[in-house]
Amino acid sequence: MDGGGGGLRRIGPFLIEKDLVAPPIRVLLVSAAALALAFLTAALVFWAYGVDPVLAYRTIFVETLLSSGGFAEGVRRAIPLLLAGVGLVLAFRAQFWNIGAEGQLLLGAVAAAGVALFAPLPAALLLPAMFLAGFVAGGLWAVLPALLKLRLGVNDVLTTLMLNYVAVYLVEWLIHGPWRGRTAFGFAYSDRFPEPAMLPLIPGTYVHWPTLLLALAGALAAWFVLTHTTWGYPVRVTGDNPEAARYAHMPVFRVVFAVALASGGFAGLAGVGEVAGVHGRLLEAYQISLGYGYTAIIVAWLARGNPLGAMLTALFMGLIFASGDVMKISLQMPFRVTDVFNGLILFFLISSERLLYYRVRWAPVRKGD
Amino acid sequence: MDDLVLAMLVRALAFGTPILLAGLGEIYAERSGVVNLGVEGMMAVGALAAFAVAQSSGSPYLGVLAALLAAALVSLPFALASITLRANQYVAGLALTMLGLGVSGLLGKPYEGAPLAHPLPEAGFIVTALLLAVLLWFFLQHTYGGLVLRSAGENPETVDAMGIDVYRVRYAAVIFGGAMSGLAGAFLSLAYRPSWADGITSGLGWIAVALAIFAAWHPLKAVGAALLFGALYHLSYRLQAAVSPEFLKAMPYLFVVVVLSLSALRKGPSGAPESLGIPYVRGERR
Amino acid sequence: MRKGLLAVLLVLLVAAGFAQGDKLKACWIYVGPVGDYGWSHAHDQGRIAAEKALPWLETQYVESVPEAQAEAYIDRLVKQGCEVVFATSFGYMDSVLAAARKHPDVIFAHATGFKRAPNVATYMADFYQLYYLNGLMAGALTKSGKVGYVAAFPIPELKRHISAFALGVRAVNPDAEVLVRWIYEWYNPAAAKEATEALIAEGADVFAFTEDTPTVIQVAAKKGLPSFSHYSPMKRFAPELVVSGQLVHWEKVYIDFLAKVYAGVYTSKNLQDVDYWWLLSQGAVELGGEYGEPVNPRFVSALKARKVNHPVFGKVSVYDLVVKELALMRDVELAFDPFQGPIKDRRGKMRVPAGLRLTKHELETMEWAAPGIKGPWPNEPK
Repeated sequence: MDGGGGGLRRIGPFLIEKDLVAPPIRVLLVSAAALALAFLTAALVFWAYGVDPVLAYRTIFVETLLSSGGFAEGVRRAIPLLLAGVGLVLAFRAQFWNIGAEGQLLLGAVAAAGVALFAPLPAALLLPAMFLAGFVAGGLWAVLPALLKLRLGVNDVLTTLMLNYVAVYLVEWLIHGPWRGRTAFGFAYSDRFPEPAMLPLIPGTYVHWPTLLLALAGALAAWFVLTHTTWGYPVRVTGDNPEAARYAHMPVFRVVFAVALASGGFAGLAGVGEVAGVHGRLLEAYQISLGYGYTAIIVAWLARGNPLGAMLTALFMGLIFASGDVMKISLQMPFRVTDVFNGLILFFLISSERLLYYRVRWAPVRKGD
Repeated sequence: MDDLVLAMLVRALAFGTPILLAGLGEIYAERSGVVNLGVEGMMAVGALAAFAVAQSSGSPYLGVLAALLAAALVSLPFALASITLRANQYVAGLALTMLGLGVSGLLGKPYEGAPLAHPLPEAGFIVTALLLAVLLWFFLQHTYGGLVLRSAGENPETVDAMGIDVYRVRYAAVIFGGAMSGLAGAFLSLAYRPSWADGITSGLGWIAVALAIFAAWHPLKAVGAALLFGALYHLSYRLQAAVSPEFLKAMPYLFVVVVLSLSALRKGPSGAPESLGIPYVRGERR
Repeated sequence: MRKGLLAVLLVLLVAAGFAQGDKLKACWIYVGPVGDYGWSHAHDQGRIAAEKALPWLETQYVESVPEAQAEAYIDRLVKQGCEVVFATSFGYMDSVLAAARKHPDVIFAHATGFKRAPNVATYMADFYQLYYLNGLMAGALTKSGKVGYVAAFPIPELKRHISAFALGVRAVNPDAEVLVRWIYEWYNPAAAKEATEALIAEGADVFAFTEDTPTVIQVAAKKGLPSFSHYSPMKRFAPELVVSGQLVHWEKVYIDFLAKVYAGVYTSKNLQDVDYWWLLSQGAVELGGEYGEPVNPRFVSALKARKVNHPVFGKVSVYDLVVKELALMRDVELAFDPFQGPIKDRRGKMRVPAGLRLTKHELETMEWAAPGIKGPWPNEPK
C-alpha cells in the first residue's frame, strides 16, 4: 500500500483509489451504510431472541417517530447526549481522548444536588447556580486528566475512563451516607430538591426545555467558536497535527486545557439537567444516567467533528433510547436492547472510517492495458 | 486473628480470580500492542454462554468450554476493526463492551435469576488462575513465542522483519484475551454466584483493565494486584461499620490514575509496551 | 379465614354475573426481573394466579423498571389501555401519585407505600410475625450465639423485620446477637455472597436475609450452616439446611382488590382509605421454606429438645412455642403479637410500653433497633 494517489486495486471496471480528503457526500453515504448494517445485524440479534425483526422495527417506528409521547421521550434523552456529545466533539477535535463524559456528567449532578439541597440562595438564583456549579465540577473532573496528559504524558483514555468509576462511587457514598435523604426512609437517595431548584417541563412531556435550549445554544456556540473565531483555528490544528501546532507556537497547553474544561463542563451541565429536570434528587448513578456519557461518544463520532451535526446525531441516539422503552413495554424485551444498537452502530461506524479515504472510480479496462 | 486473616485471604482470592483471569488475558493483548477495553462485554458473554450451556446440558464443564469459545468469538469483530481496519482501539473496545453487555442481556433473558443446579467449586478456578499466571509469565518471558508477542507490542517492525505476520500475532493475543475473559465470566456464573442475571459482571471487566495497568503488564505482579483488589472488596463488607464501602470499592480505579501518574513522574518505565494502542501498518514508517 | 371466604364468594359472584361483560385490564410494574426468586417473581406469581382465577381479567407487565422511570412507563401503560395499575416497589411512591393526578380515571394500587389518593390504594402482605417465629428457631439453633442477617436497604420495612427476628432470637437465647450487613441492592448475588462470607468469618452460624436471591442459603449450606428462606420457596437450594422461612400469597390481595374493582365497589374516587395490611390471619403470608411445611422436619427434634420458660405457656419447647404462637397469629383475635410491650430498643430506650402494641403506622415508620442487633443502623433514633 503506497501513499501515492494512484490506482490501488481493480475490481472489474472499478478502480479503487486512495483519497486524501473525504467529501461530505461520501461521509454521508458511508455513515448511512454503516447504520444500515448495524440495524441489519441487530435484526439478527432480535431474531435470535425470538422477536420478529420486522415487527420489532415496525413497533419502534410507530411508537417513537409516529407517537408524540414517544418522540418527546427521544428528545428528553437527546438533551444530555447533545450536551455531552458537543463537549466530546470539541475534545476529539483537539485530540483530547475524553472517555470520561459519564463521570463528568455525574459530577455535574452531584454539584447541582449540593447547591439545590444545601445552598442558602434566593429561589431565583438557585437554578443558575446549579448549572454553574455543575459546569465547574464536570469541567474540573476533565481538567485533572488533561493536566496529567499535558504535564506528564499520562494516557488520557485510561485516566478519564477510571475517573468514571470514581465518580460512580462518589455518588453512591453521598446517597448512602452524608446526603441520604431524611425523607428517603432508608433508601439510597437524597431528599427531594426544593421546587425552585426544579426545571420546568414542556406540558404533556418530560422534556425539561431550559436544558434543551442550553444544549442547542452550546452546540451553536461550539460551532461558532470552531469556525469563526481565532480560538477555533488552534483547536483544529492541535487536533490535526500537534507537532505543527507547537512548531507554529500555538498555545497547545491552553487549547487542550480549555477544551477539557469545556468538554467536562458540558457533560456536567447534562448531569444538572438530569437531576433538576428529571429526577429532582440525587440518586444511584445508573439511574441518573443511562450511560449517556458513553453514548455521547457515538454522538460525537457520528457528527464527524461538527457541533451542528451533533444536534442530529444526539436526536438519533435519543430516539434509540426511547425505542428501548418501547421494546420493553410492547415486546417485553430488556432495556439492554439499546446497548445492542449502541455497540453495533459504534462498531460499524469506526470500522467504516477507513473507507472514507478511498474513492471508487469508473475506469473500464482498455485493450492493451 | 489468624483465622480472620486467613478468611480474608480466601475471600480476596475468590473475588480476585475473575479479575486475575481477565486481567491476564488483557495483559497478553496489551503486550502485543492492542488495548482491548471490551473486557466487560466479553466477560458478560462468557458468563451467559457458560450458564446457558451448563444449565441445558447439565455439565458445567461444557459450560466452561462454551464460555471460552463464545468470548473468543466476540473478540473477533474487535480484532477485525482495530487490527485489520486500524480503527481507534479504545473506541472499538467500548463498542465491544456495549455489544457484549447488550447481546448477553438480551439473549440471557430466559435464564435471568434462575439458580444453577450443579455449580462448580470456586477453588478449581482459583488454582487454575494462579497456575495460569505462572505459566503465562514463563511463556512471555522465557520462550520464543513470548518474545515475538512482546516484540509485536514494543517494536512491530522487527517482528515483520523476522518474517512473522504482526497481524496474526495480535489477532492471536486478542482472541486469547477474549477466551480468558470468557473464563472469568464462567467463574462468575458457574461458581461464584452461581446464577446469571443482567449486569452479572458489575464492572469487574473494568477492574481487570485497571489490573493490567496496575500490575505493569506483568503476569506475576497481576497476582498480587488481584489479591489487593480482592481484599479491598472483601473489606468493604467486613469493615462496613468503620470505613465506607464505596471508598474501598473506588480504590482500584484511583490506584490506576496514581500509578500511571507516578511512573510518568519518575520518568521511569511504567512497563507499558512501546506500541500500545498504535495500529500497525505494514511497511509504513512511523 | 372468614374474610378469605368472603373474597372467594365475591369472586364467584362476579365471575358468574359479569362473565359476558367487559374485560378489565390490569397492569403491573416490577422493579426487578420476574425471573429472580424474590419480590418481583412473587408478585408475578400473584398476577398469573389472578389471571387464572378471574376470567374477565386481562393483564400486562413491565419488569425491571427503574424507580426514576416509573412515571413515563405508567403513561405508556395507560395509553395501552390499562385501567388498574399495580406499582410494586416503595420507590415508585412519588411517581404513582404524580401519575394518578394525571390520569384521574385510572385506579392505582401501590405496594408497601403509605401515601394514598382518591384513585391510589396501598397494599402490603407483611412478614414481621413470621420473622419473629424464625427468630425463635434461629435462637434455638445457634451454637455460637451469633446469628447472621444479610439485608438489602436500611428501610423501615427491613428494620421492622430484623427487629422482630432479633426479638424472637432473644426470647429463646437472651445473650445471642444478630449481626447485620447491608448490601444496598435488592438483587446482587455477589454482594450477598461477600456479606455472608464476612458474617461467617465473624462467627455467625445461622442465617436469615432480606434480599432477592437464594445466595445466603447457598453460601451457608456450603459450610453446613442452617438458614431461613425468604419470599419464595427456597428450601430446594439446601433441603437439609433450610429450617423455615416466609412465603407470600400476593394473589389473595390481587384477587380481592380486582374483584372489588370489577364489581364497582372500588372506583377511582373512593380509594383514599383503602389500605391492605394483610398478615397471617388473612392468609397472605405463610410460614415455611416450602408451601405447606412450616418447619423442616429435619429440625423438629432439635427444636423440640430446646426448652424455654415462657411467661404464658410456662416451660415449653421452642417447637411448641412456634406452633402455639403461629396459631394465635393466624386467628383473627390476634391474641399475640411480636411487638407487644414492654420492649426497649438496643440503646435502652422504652419503645413499646407494657400492655401496648405498635400501631400499623408505628410499624410502617419504624427506625429503632431491637436489643441484640449488632452492626451499622443508619438513621437510628437517639
